[in-house]
Amino acid sequence: MRISIRNVTKQFDRFPALGGVSLEIGSGELVALLGPSGSGKTTLLRSIAGLEHPSSGQILFDGEDVSNLSVGQRRIGFAFQSYALFRHMTVLSNVSFGLKVRPRKTRPSRAEIRARALELLDLVQLGGLEGRFPSQLSGGQRQRVALARALAIEPRVLLLDEPFGALDAKVRKELRRWLRQLHDRLGLTTIFVTHDQEEALELADRVVVMNKGEIEQAGTPVEVYDDPATAFVSEFLGTVNTFQTTLNDGIAEVLGTEFPVADADPGEGPQRRHGPAIAYVRTHEIELLSRERAEGIPAIVRAVFPFGGAIRVELAVEGYDMPIQVEVPRAFFEAGEVQVNSGLFIRATNARVFPQYN
Amino acid sequence: MASAGSRGKRRVIPGFGISLGFTIVYLGLIVLIPLAGLVLRSAGLGWSELYRIATDLRTVNAIWLSVWTAFIAATINVPFGVLVAWVMVRYRFPGRRILDAAVDLPFALPTAVAGIALTALYAPNGWVGAYLEEWGIKAAYTPLGIVIALTFIGLPFVVRTVQPLMEDIDKEVEEAAATLGAGRFQTVRRVILPAILPAVITGFALAFARAIGEYGSVVFIAGNIPYVSEIAPLLIIIRLEEYNYAGATTVATLMLLISFTLLIVINAIQAMTRRRYGSG
Repeated sequence: MRISIRNVTKQFDRFPALGGVSLEIGSGELVALLGPSGSGKTTLLRSIAGLEHPSSGQILFDGEDVSNLSVGQRRIGFAFQSYALFRHMTVLSNVSFGLKVRPRKTRPSRAEIRARALELLDLVQLGGLEGRFPSQLSGGQRQRVALARALAIEPRVLLLDEPFGALDAKVRKELRRWLRQLHDRLGLTTIFVTHDQEEALELADRVVVMNKGEIEQAGTPVEVYDDPATAFVSEFLGTVNTFQTTLNDGIAEVLGTEFPVADADPGEGPQRRHGPAIAYVRTHEIELLSRERAEGIPAIVRAVFPFGGAIRVELAVEGYDMPIQVEVPRAFFEAGEVQVNSGLFIRATNARVFPQYN
Repeated sequence: MASAGSRGKRRVIPGFGISLGFTIVYLGLIVLIPLAGLVLRSAGLGWSELYRIATDLRTVNAIWLSVWTAFIAATINVPFGVLVAWVMVRYRFPGRRILDAAVDLPFALPTAVAGIALTALYAPNGWVGAYLEEWGIKAAYTPLGIVIALTFIGLPFVVRTVQPLMEDIDKEVEEAAATLGAGRFQTVRRVILPAILPAVITGFALAFARAIGEYGSVVFIAGNIPYVSEIAPLLIIIRLEEYNYAGATTVATLMLLISFTLLIVINAIQAMTRRRYGSG
């Protein structure tokens, strides 16, 4: 199902949670709403569900305005961050709840409800656990019960609020992969909220980065990662070093190299080409050069974290207060030049420069 | 370093020995020794004498009256107590704090005061009693009056046990029911009520246990007609005033037995629901 969000705003008392959000979500898309807490991502998700009523704007499902439909009428599958399972019901009763509460006319027979619930439990790989109570399940299992329960009503869209928020790192990754497979199999339009960029980038077809109740950028994971549209997105995605710099006719110097100012959003009008600017450089966009070449900026190694394929190095550079974080290939590290307190040269290979307003 | 011998027994929370010791001494002094004295005293009577007092029609009637009025009062308090708790947990309205405090009044008020107030209200010439009289209902000086008094004193027990559990119900659980298509009524019946059931049972048990032993508020409104509206605690007082200590302790022991049995049964039901719902 297609979802169109048109200029939706939401005020909580006097505090604006959403300030005019517009977004098109295609049928069968898997979309992540990504942002820090307070960015309005959950409010947007809940508005789509009908759990929150926007102060203004429209939400359309397949072209039909659902703004006046109640949660129950919208036929959405919603998985809550806390799972919100019914503690006093077995797994089977939880999953069949949505079918049992249907009006008599549209309610399937008891045998059908049972069969359908068991089928869904197989789908979420919980076959055989139908007699358990939620308290007897692990976190990952509870999340899958919540999903099966949401799927039981044959929703038109699946909405997931921080679906992996309460799980440990390993289960998170497993469940993420599993959710992707499930989505590909069912082809259901799915929107999930997360504050974890890795989760959004790995799982979603499209990532919508939100901040302060507005959409900063929406695009494929590669687009938002490689081509951040705003300073906020640059800083939020990946691990970045931040540098204060100055624009001079649209060019700024960062760690000895010159970079052009990032393209402005066409809606924002002419961009400032002179004055203070801020530059974002990802940890893998800084090159370490050996002493012999004597290029770039001199730096001193302060700490080395030699784990994994890429080695994280912290460097001190004169004139910068914060240590500079760099990731270097393991081979470079093994060549032996990176030692604590040894001197090196560094150079930025890429940077995103945004004029600083305030 | 502690001595090697005690290492295996070390606990994270210190003072187990002393606190358990205190608990036993305290419970012993306050609860167990007086009750044991009671049983001993009546046991001294001999079986036949005990049997004669226990099956005396006046005793049987008084105990039966106490049990059934207490049961009805506790039963009435279940729906109304849950409703009061619901209103206070769910809605924000001016005067909520005052209402909240008012729920505790039956705890705090001397029961005799409550009894006199209720009698004044429900007597045939009282504000409420006059209306009931028109309908041909006599409240004061009948078992109905006893039920009213016991309902009054039992209310806070249900409200105060249900309230915290109700506050604990996650808003998301209700929202989940709504997203699944359940209406408000279905959500209440299938999701909220089952979730608070263990607390409702506890509240019922407490209100019931309190009502069985209630004396002060009842004696004024009951009229205390032997065989009709004379409750067991009153009968005990009457026997004491007659210097019939054996009779008094026998009635008391019987009540003790009944209360104890009922509480055990209710506890068992509660353990069952707890187990079913996975957690306490």
